[in-house]
Amino acid sequence: LFQGVRQAQWLTKTKLVEGLPPSVLGIVDNPAHQLEDHEEGVKRAISHARLWDTTEVAPRREHYCPVLFEDLMHLCRLMSMKYPSLTKRMLARNYKISATWERETILLQVRGLNGILMNSVAPIPPVASKEEILATEQHVLETFYPISPTIDLQEVKVYKELNDTGKSRSFRDGYPYSHPHTLFFLESANIRPNRFRPEQLRAKMLMFAFGNALAKAKVLYGNDPKVLEQPVVVQSVGTDGQLFQFMVFQLNTTDLVSSDGIKNLVWIDSDQNLYEKAQCVPEVKKKVVTKPAGIYGFQPDTFKKFLALYLHGTV
Amino acid sequence: MAARRGRRLLWHGRRWFSQTESAVPPQPPDSLYPPIVASATAKSKAAKRRRLEHFYQRVHEAGSIEEKLRLYGQLQRPKYMLYPQTFALNADRWYRSFTKTVFVPGLPPRAASAAVKAPGAAAPEAAKTPEGAAGVAPEAAEAAAPGTAAPGAVKTAELAAGAAPYLDMDELRSLACDALLQESFYQNKKRPFLYRDQDHTPGPFLTQLVSTLAAFLCGRNPLLAASSLDLKPEVNYYWHHGEEVVVHGHRKGRVDPVRFQIDDNPHLQIRVPKQLPEIVPLESDLGDVPVIDHKPSKLPLFKKQYENKVFIGSKVADPCCYGHTQFHLIPDKLKRQRFVRMNLEDQIEVLYRANGIASLFAWTAAQAMYQG
Repeated sequence: LFQGVRQAQWLTKTKLVEGLPPSVLGIVDNPAHQLEDHEEGVKRAISHARLWDTTEVAPRREHYCPVLFEDLMHLCRLMSMKYPSLTKRMLARNYKISATWERETILLQVRGLNGILMNSVAPIPPVASKEEILATEQHVLETFYPISPTIDLQEVKVYKELNDTGKSRSFRDGYPYSHPHTLFFLESANIRPNRFRPEQLRAKMLMFAFGNALAKAKVLYGNDPKVLEQPVVVQSVGTDGQLFQFMVFQLNTTDLVSSDGIKNLVWIDSDQNLYEKAQCVPEVKKKVVTKPAGIYGFQPDTFKKFLALYLHGTV
Repeated sequence: MAARRGRRLLWHGRRWFSQTESAVPPQPPDSLYPPIVASATAKSKAAKRRRLEHFYQRVHEAGSIEEKLRLYGQLQRPKYMLYPQTFALNADRWYRSFTKTVFVPGLPPRAASAAVKAPGAAAPEAAKTPEGAAGVAPEAAEAAAPGTAAPGAVKTAELAAGAAPYLDMDELRSLACDALLQESFYQNKKRPFLYRDQDHTPGPFLTQLVSTLAAFLCGRNPLLAASSLDLKPEVNYYWHHGEEVVVHGHRKGRVDPVRFQIDDNPHLQIRVPKQLPEIVPLESDLGDVPVIDHKPSKLPLFKKQYENKVFIGSKVADPCCYGHTQFHLIPDKLKRQRFVRMNLEDQIEVLYRANGIASLFAWTAAQAMYQG
């Protein structure tokens, strides 16, 4: 997407709020959750993914990005010791989604394999209050005239307007874990041009989160465009192994044809580094070890946010 | 007389000099002569022994474990490649002889520590088909679980002494059923690619099952709480066993140890920071190791020369250096129907046994090497 998040905002009729919503920040700051104990475990996970997991000297990004993700998920899942309802989550890999909507006479569709989805039995409660939702009415979506908002989107002849997300078609009816909770995007291509830049990654996250939320809303409330009394919340985490982007998207309305009225909300926390550098081989200058091998610049806050997003909805 | 003879020998041969240098530091005060030992470079058995001892000394004195492993696998020679999942007939007998393993049918007896625990500690042995909790990796061969059926669930006694918390079988069953249903029924996937059936359904099912069960049971097993889960890790091990004469080439006629290498890729692996307790004491006699007189290449087993790797799934620096469980998926081309069609029903079990022996031997031996 050319303009990144701004374009995605226009396409999905969303208002952007910087930083994470207060309910998630509340989980981060709450000392009762003892998020500090996991620092050791997180460091071990990073070292395992970046340093130890391969017989070669240094693993490639294709290898370490998913390994890091799996390790962090393993750490998060071990928290279900304390919160038994966390076992009611299921990961779906290779997950396909398709959602369609109209936006000022342009028919848009989100489709395709989009990473890993985590489903849960219970939905996430709405994050924004009623006042905030009503306040979005005043917000004007920024357009970037003269650039058309559909720039860089692939034009495809759509024969069937499909609206299955994982729920009705990709997942059959009666699936117990029916609420999309979090989407995970791993940018793990080895070559830098093959990876999404952070801005584009955020836009992609936004589009897919919107697609999932929209499909869920259509399943719950039918196909008519209207304002939802119970907004649908979907979270999204994107990473390339080092930088993390966190996003919480709340779908307030499915009335997307016009540009006025209540908008959807998204909270984005971007470019959170989990660690600065992972030194695989000690740096030696003139036969003196200047930098021993290891992880440098570890920031525990990023994992706390990751865990808070994971726990959101059950805590 | 003795003094004059010693000095003359010192003049005549430089070999003696090199020995005096090596023996100089720990010079016992009551002997004026350097120790008279065999030469290190002659073409003789004594010299070969001395070179071996020198090599062992080098490895023992190496600074770090990585250095030791590097020296251990430095010399590359043609070696037999062992495949844990093999269709060779009676492979498990051959593998048992290569790895000096005794096969004990059935699950291992309850760990000795369990008998000492308070009577309240229950260790149920459930054999429900959808169940597949983490089991102890035994030294004796244990059949590896295929994708959909797990043979049994043994809860080893890691519980605190006293009343055991109730193990919610219903919860476990529902978790297992949910994972199975999601992978096979609910999630719409494309049709599996040709010959990739295993990746399509049993693979993701196993991953989901193990991760959810590990998360569910980590409250009862503190080891699991500190464990590390590997997806599709690599396990390699290199060892010598027995001797043979080199058949052709510039080293013809020399006696060489028979070298083996296992390169294995289990589907899933759990590693823990603490060692699992041993099931039977070290000196117990559970049976005999089969002795096979034929050359290993009759199995059939083929030789190749490549890098000698010893790897458990992560490098030496990882704190989770002991293994807990490995999960293997039997590939499609080794499935039961094929064996039944070829009238080789007994070989089905041989396949599972051989897989278990080879993979677990490689894993446990590599873990042992990682300790120094």
